[in-house]
Amino acid sequence: MQGLIDLVEKYFSISVIKEVLPYLLKGALFTVVFSAASEIIGIVIGLATSVVRVTRIKVLNQLAIVYVDLFRGTPLLMQIIFVYYALPYIGINLPATVAGIAALSINSGAYVTEIFRAGIESIDRGQMEAARSLGMSYIKAMRYIIIPQTIKRVLPPLTNEFVALIKDSSLLSVIAISELLRTAKEMMTWKLNPSSLTAAAILYLVITLPLTRYVSYMEEKLKRSGV
Amino acid sequence: MIEIVNLHKKFGTLEVLCGIDLKVNKGEVMVIIGPSGSGKSTLLRCVNLLEKPTSGQIFFAGEDITARKVNKNLVRQRLGMVFQSFNLFPHMTALGNVVIAPVQVLKMKKDEAEKKGIELLKKVGLTDKINVYPSQLSGGQKQRVAIARALAMNPEVMLFDEVTSALDPELVKEVLDVMKDLAKSGMTMLVVTHEMGFAREVGSHLIFMDEGLILEEGRAVDIFDNPRHVRTKAFLNAVL
Ligand SMILES: Nc1ncnc2c1ncn2[C@@H]1O[C@H](COP(=O)(O)OP(=O)(O)OP(=O)(O)O)[C@@H](O)[C@H]1O
Ligand SMILES: [Mg+2]
Repeated sequence: MQGLIDLVEKYFSISVIKEVLPYLLKGALFTVVFSAASEIIGIVIGLATSVVRVTRIKVLNQLAIVYVDLFRGTPLLMQIIFVYYALPYIGINLPATVAGIAALSINSGAYVTEIFRAGIESIDRGQMEAARSLGMSYIKAMRYIIIPQTIKRVLPPLTNEFVALIKDSSLLSVIAISELLRTAKEMMTWKLNPSSLTAAAILYLVITLPLTRYVSYMEEKLKRSGV
Repeated sequence: MIEIVNLHKKFGTLEVLCGIDLKVNKGEVMVIIGPSGSGKSTLLRCVNLLEKPTSGQIFFAGEDITARKVNKNLVRQRLGMVFQSFNLFPHMTALGNVVIAPVQVLKMKKDEAEKKGIELLKKVGLTDKINVYPSQLSGGQKQRVAIARALAMNPEVMLFDEVTSALDPELVKEVLDVMKDLAKSGMTMLVVTHEMGFAREVGSHLIFMDEGLILEEGRAVDIFDNPRHVRTKAFLNAVL
């Protein structure tokens, strides 16, 4: 019984949460901004790389494979540390915010590449042939025929990837970016009470739940439309 | 209009076209018949440069389109192709399907392309389906949109690859009727088909292909009335 009371006091203290909430909301805003910026850049990188992958442009394709393997196969934490702490030795000094977004974007780009590649390859071959038979160049066929059809199919996996990115952005705390988790940890030391962590967890959920719900809804819809 | 000279096509070790020579003049309707796997589709796809011939030449309006320096996109703009599986763009309406290439490839103005597109859809009998998406069209309607889409580029030659094979029997006629009108209007056509009635009535010329070779060639009616090759006889007996 005493254990339960202690637990509530330590992790669910309403008074503490009330006090730290403004700071946490600011941290949450950082988390959203960093994740969204990285996701958008990641999509640009991933879209370009996936087109390189499906066209099998010789050297570029090899590079794209190495890129995807490298960034999907090593911990994001390491990538963040390398970009922020190692690059200065070769003269690349990035502010923490830029280094953070760069690391997240490049990492997310690797996942997005594979999402788009699967999406593009799932489009019936006849679509490309029909487009080319009308005299469209490969680029135009991609732009007007293939990619627009791909978007609908990649939206659910892309959103899943975004959710993962939002959670992963908490790793930016190692390079002193005041995103949600780091803010919560600071509040914990300040208040000598970890309720701020609980509040932060709830804020993460508030951000991610609509997204995960949206994915379920879209997947259901796609299944019904038989795409 | 089209002249094919000693055309060979191999997929790996499988030789699908084993030396095709064929001439199609302007305004002719060349019907291609033959058993499954004889290379009919491959032949059409070579003409449209969707397949790269292993050797041989294809001349289109006097130009060797198998030459390396040829701009394939420019060639394909002048050759319309209709596929067995329609291949309509599902994210665009019927009209959207018809105008996309004129607008993006020929740089035609959008309203001009739409005006022409509506006219073409009217011509294939789809006035009331202009703003409908492919998923809401029947197979016959889809195929007529596909024909209108190809015609929108003002092609000099139309290629048809078994365009009625995926259709329910009651929908075949509406598509064949459109093709008949097209033939009457003087369009040069290469038509792979299993519709022997159509082949006989509309085809000006006919070739019978088997195992990558043209076994018989001549006026369509002559071949139907008087096939010379034993394989042609056997094939016609089986399908008629
Ligand atoms: N891309 C390809 N790769 C390998 N083999 C192929 C390819 N395309 C066609 N073939 C083979 O080439 C042969 C001829 O095919 P093609 O599609 O030209 O025949 P067809 O006369 O059109 O037959 P059908 O009446 O069934 O459509 C077949 O044996 C087929 O399996
Ligand atoms: Mg075929």
